[in-house]
Amino acid sequence: MSKIIETHGLWKIYPLGEKKVEALRGLSLSIESGAFVVIAGPSGSGKSTLLHLLGAMDTPTRGEVYLDGVNLSRMADEERTYLRCHQIGFIFQTFNLLPTLTALENVEIALRLAGASRSVRHARAAEVLARVGLTDQAHHRPAQLSGGERQRVVIARALANRPRLLLADEPTGNLDSVNGQAIVDLFHQLNIEGQTIVMVTHNLGLARYAHQKIILIDGQIVDTAQVNAR
Amino acid sequence: MLDIVVKNIGARKIRTTLCILAVMVSVFLNGTTLTMNNWMYRTMTSELARYMGKIYIQQGGSSYPPIDSSISQETAQVILSRDDLEMNTAESTSLIFIRTERGMMPFMPAKQMVIGISAGRVGALLGNVEATEGTNRFEVGEQGDVTILGEEMAASFRATVGQDVTINGRTIRVIGVLKRSNMDSVNIAAIMPLEAVQRTFAKEDTVSAVLLTPKDVNQTTEIAATLRQDYPALAVVTQDEMLTEAENVMRMPMLYMGIMSVTGFVVAVAVIMSTMVMAVMERTREFGTLRAIGGRRRLIVGMVFAEALLMALIGSLPSMGLVLLMSRWMNTTLPSVAQLLEIVGFTVGAAVLAASYPAWRAARVEPMEALRYE
Repeated sequence: MSKIIETHGLWKIYPLGEKKVEALRGLSLSIESGAFVVIAGPSGSGKSTLLHLLGAMDTPTRGEVYLDGVNLSRMADEERTYLRCHQIGFIFQTFNLLPTLTALENVEIALRLAGASRSVRHARAAEVLARVGLTDQAHHRPAQLSGGERQRVVIARALANRPRLLLADEPTGNLDSVNGQAIVDLFHQLNIEGQTIVMVTHNLGLARYAHQKIILIDGQIVDTAQVNAR
Repeated sequence: MLDIVVKNIGARKIRTTLCILAVMVSVFLNGTTLTMNNWMYRTMTSELARYMGKIYIQQGGSSYPPIDSSISQETAQVILSRDDLEMNTAESTSLIFIRTERGMMPFMPAKQMVIGISAGRVGALLGNVEATEGTNRFEVGEQGDVTILGEEMAASFRATVGQDVTINGRTIRVIGVLKRSNMDSVNIAAIMPLEAVQRTFAKEDTVSAVLLTPKDVNQTTEIAATLRQDYPALAVVTQDEMLTEAENVMRMPMLYMGIMSVTGFVVAVAVIMSTMVMAVMERTREFGTLRAIGGRRRLIVGMVFAEALLMALIGSLPSMGLVLLMSRWMNTTLPSVAQLLEIVGFTVGAAVLAASYPAWRAARVEPMEALRYE
């Protein structure tokens, strides 16, 4: 399998007053295309920071991140924006849906940003909403949806542009165990269909479908394991 | 993304309503002052155009129109009968101006007035203004209680030729109604023979002014100088001097209105800007989310500008209607299309200026802002 992600000597240092916080310390890893990877670790271990760098939302202080062989660390803002739109789907713990729009419109936003025509985006948004089981709630606003349903809308939005890479930052963090498990099951299905998924969690119990587990502590990988055959 | 902008505006009803109301007031203020400024300037220039190449003699220190001017009829006759001045006697006359209804504001011209003029010399005042019915001239020697009404005066009296109207308690027969003129003082006037006005308003032996037309226009300045020398107690003015004087009189009202207009603009900018700054601060996470899922900075900037412009335009449209109503109510000239476009330009300018800073702030939002709340 080809490598979709590679990082080499990744450092991320944040200034905190006069101090500096080393969120990532020389981290190197690789992820194969089609894999389901779980990144786990305690709070402050740097797992979310790593996900933000993989998602082209932030740039490393030192080191390189490659997505399909392209160095994200050297990209201009406009190029990273393009990449986030077309190649990367991001799932937020706190949903981040636009409150004035319906579920369908929230999904369509991603397609609009990619320049899809009205008919294409409507059809595709309906398709991905159906894929996450929300056809009946398509015209509901976020406030009218449960936490699990909102997270499904976020997943649908992330899938809308058929991204090469799906990144999820604690996607079950705001959900009860039943809804959390349902989301992980959905990720499993998507992965079976060929979607590369990188999920950050502090709950390793949700990692049973993962092919690879990466454990971070203090900005460094302390354990990495291939846990399920692909 | 306009639909999202509209939904965002709709989602913040109270703030949007207040912002739109403030824009309405500002635009109304600006539109009214702009209209009044233009109207005053147009009125002034059209009035003065009538006096091209003519000399106006009135009481020293009086204003224009010389409602507050009083000179003896004897003096007027002496001036009019001077052979040395090379006058066109058919275009030279004594005039009397009586205000019958004040303007809306102290600095505004009379709303209605009566003008007395020597019969046979009406052409000196009316020029080529035609009558819609009846006559536009008095017969030579006419001294009776008759009147030719300007268009607005006739409408005010609802009078037609042959009917009687009452002016200062006296019954006056209408013998003509004029077409609308570009001289407002004619439109709002009842024009009567000089002697009839003197009788009606107990102004025997006095007139307001003398209007002289030199045979040779190029001699106007020279003749005016001679008259100033001979009649130092009177004001002798030519068109140029009247224009200067009128501009002096208009300077303060124009300045005042200009300040009101600028104030309206500043208020519009301040209100839109504060609304947009609050909106941007509240929606930092939304903008961060849009950036995180692939929204470009210029999209965010466009959304902020579109929101500000939309609120400004929504506020300005009813205001323009109010400006039109106000113009009609004040009996002033309706704003032209160019003036209405100027008001729209004012609104757009205010919105663009007001949205610049919030848009700049919004454009600086990074995708990480969406994740700061995680």
